[in-house]
Amino acid sequence: MAPGTSVALGPLESWRRRLWPSRLDAYTGYLLLLPALMLVTTLMISLVMIGDNSLHLLDRATFRLGDAFSLGNYQTLAERPVYLRIIAKTMLAAVIVTMITLALAMPYAYLMVRTKSSGLRKLLLISLFLPFFLGQVIRAYGWLIILGKQGLLNATLTSLGLPSIDLIYSFTGVLIGLVQYMLPFAVLLLAPAFTAIPEELELASMSLGGRPWATIRHVILPLAKPGWVAAGVVVFTLTLTDFAMPEIMGGGGNDFIANAIYDGFFQLSDAGLGAALSIVLTLIGTLVVAIIFTAIGAGAAGSVNKVGATNDGDNPC
Amino acid sequence: MKTPKEILTKTTLKRRGFIKGSTALAGVLAAPVLLKHGHAMAQDKPAEIIVRAWGGVWVESLENGVSNAFTEATGIAVRHDLTEDNEIRPKIWAAVDQGRVPPIHINWDTTTNASKSALRGVTEDLGDLAGLDELLPLAQPSGMDGWPLVNTYSYVYVLAYRDEAFPDGPPDSWQVMIDPKYKGRVAIYDDGIGFHPAAQIAGGGTIEDIPDNMDAAWAFFEKLKANEPLLGEDPDFTTWFQNGEIDVACTIISNARAAKQNGIAVSWTVPKEGAKLDTDGMWIPKGLPENEVYWAKKYIETALSAEGQQTWCNGLGLPPVRPGLTPPEDLVGDPAYPTTPEDLERLIRVPTPVLVEHESDWFAKVNEIMQG
Repeated sequence: MAPGTSVALGPLESWRRRLWPSRLDAYTGYLLLLPALMLVTTLMISLVMIGDNSLHLLDRATFRLGDAFSLGNYQTLAERPVYLRIIAKTMLAAVIVTMITLALAMPYAYLMVRTKSSGLRKLLLISLFLPFFLGQVIRAYGWLIILGKQGLLNATLTSLGLPSIDLIYSFTGVLIGLVQYMLPFAVLLLAPAFTAIPEELELASMSLGGRPWATIRHVILPLAKPGWVAAGVVVFTLTLTDFAMPEIMGGGGNDFIANAIYDGFFQLSDAGLGAALSIVLTLIGTLVVAIIFTAIGAGAAGSVNKVGATNDGDNPC
Repeated sequence: MKTPKEILTKTTLKRRGFIKGSTALAGVLAAPVLLKHGHAMAQDKPAEIIVRAWGGVWVESLENGVSNAFTEATGIAVRHDLTEDNEIRPKIWAAVDQGRVPPIHINWDTTTNASKSALRGVTEDLGDLAGLDELLPLAQPSGMDGWPLVNTYSYVYVLAYRDEAFPDGPPDSWQVMIDPKYKGRVAIYDDGIGFHPAAQIAGGGTIEDIPDNMDAAWAFFEKLKANEPLLGEDPDFTTWFQNGEIDVACTIISNARAAKQNGIAVSWTVPKEGAKLDTDGMWIPKGLPENEVYWAKKYIETALSAEGQQTWCNGLGLPPVRPGLTPPEDLVGDPAYPTTPEDLERLIRVPTPVLVEHESDWFAKVNEIMQG
């Protein structure tokens, strides 16, 4: 028995060696990659099938996709202004939600990591995790109760003698719902990045005369870059592909691309058009993330090599 | 002496005679076994029948009028699947195409959507249902051969309104939908279903122009868009009326009636331009085991029976396809519950084949206007 191997682990180790001999140890990493590769392969296969569907037009005599290859569905997307408007609206929402979410998540995550009060930390953690127990649909309906025309907000405003406001079933309402939904994701991705920054660096900055804003700008933000890039990418892509919030909070007039895809597949029974929109959404998401990674760096995908030094050589110290 | 040809002919005849005789004998001997087996197959009861249905008053009425009676008579439980009709359709289509057993036994569907499934060839033939000849002609699907589906009742997309918002009496025209006084307080279905022909007339067009020239309808939808309508599905209308969020809506009479029965001060009317009359139906997807198709057909027969139609359709407040039944007391004389030729004259009927071919385009057009 190898030194350090417990009696209980002996038979297990023996079985492991039979299944995966020592000479294959160098390939263990590849073996561990296998589930991820299988998942990606499955996704790619389904994407290829969706791509194939997008190249066939619906035959309304049989309500099946025709045999002939055609770019007609993409032509429809290009010719109908509604699809361009929906794509533009979705992109705009993704940018706005990402910016607002990051602006709110950064101080939240920073306070959660740096606070000396365990009570405050617990409160922030509970506030962060509680929404995870509620699905997006429940949260959206919660907003309907609060922001509805006869909802809590307007009841309060009216009781104070102020005019009521229409936030529900509007683009603004959708943005509010999305920011609230995305905030925990962003905080969870930012918190490890702030934890990895030694507090001494912030103290050093301030002892050298750096004002709080200068410390944030020149020390905290650059060092937390893996966190905020990852948070930004996650929030952006989740918003880009969101369905429930515009469906429930949008009142039917503020569809995102995912809602248009749903309509294509289910309302119009046109799998070809729905598939073409799906391919467009995938391309937009991939392109934007590629641009972000190229321009700013890989974010959380880049490891923190040592204190304060990221793998793209962006060391501010 | 016999020629070879004669021998061959005689031998062949003998052999043919033997085969015929043997087959007949085998048939006679096997008949009781086959009949017994076939009978057993047909009578082999499944544990449950799954019926896709709409929620709220829709499924409640189906349960009270049809499902409970079916279970009582057969001992087979009925499960109602409330998956949205648009969502179940591609699932059934995929299941049939892939040779899988479909997720439901009976699809309670709009006639237009059911016709699309029939055109795709995924529906069982219902021509052998008992009592089809006793139903109104409306029960038979138009634009296709046979009975790939059966229509079960008709309904009207009425102008529903909140009583408080109209103290001087009901609105008499669809123009109220574009009245700035009700800005942000009007509602239609999110794809405009049920409102396209009404908008065509209210916009100054004619029924005869449908589907070739619907500019009048789209112009009316543009004006409606400016009035910031809410767009939703059946349950949304009840919620919006309940929360006082809308004053007028184009919705199916059943939704408005259910809201009223729940104590919400809502009424409805058929405006002077008319209102769309449509039908729903039931169909059975292909790919089910034979015995389950048998019992699914028995379920539809229960839905079309006099008792089933009376209770089910009265619950929904809709005219059944079986003649001679008693209308609900609260709807006697209501033009939205058409029973006379005069009632029908006030309503707009778009032929199903036209809807099947063009309704998707109308949905897309309304979507284009509303997302602007």
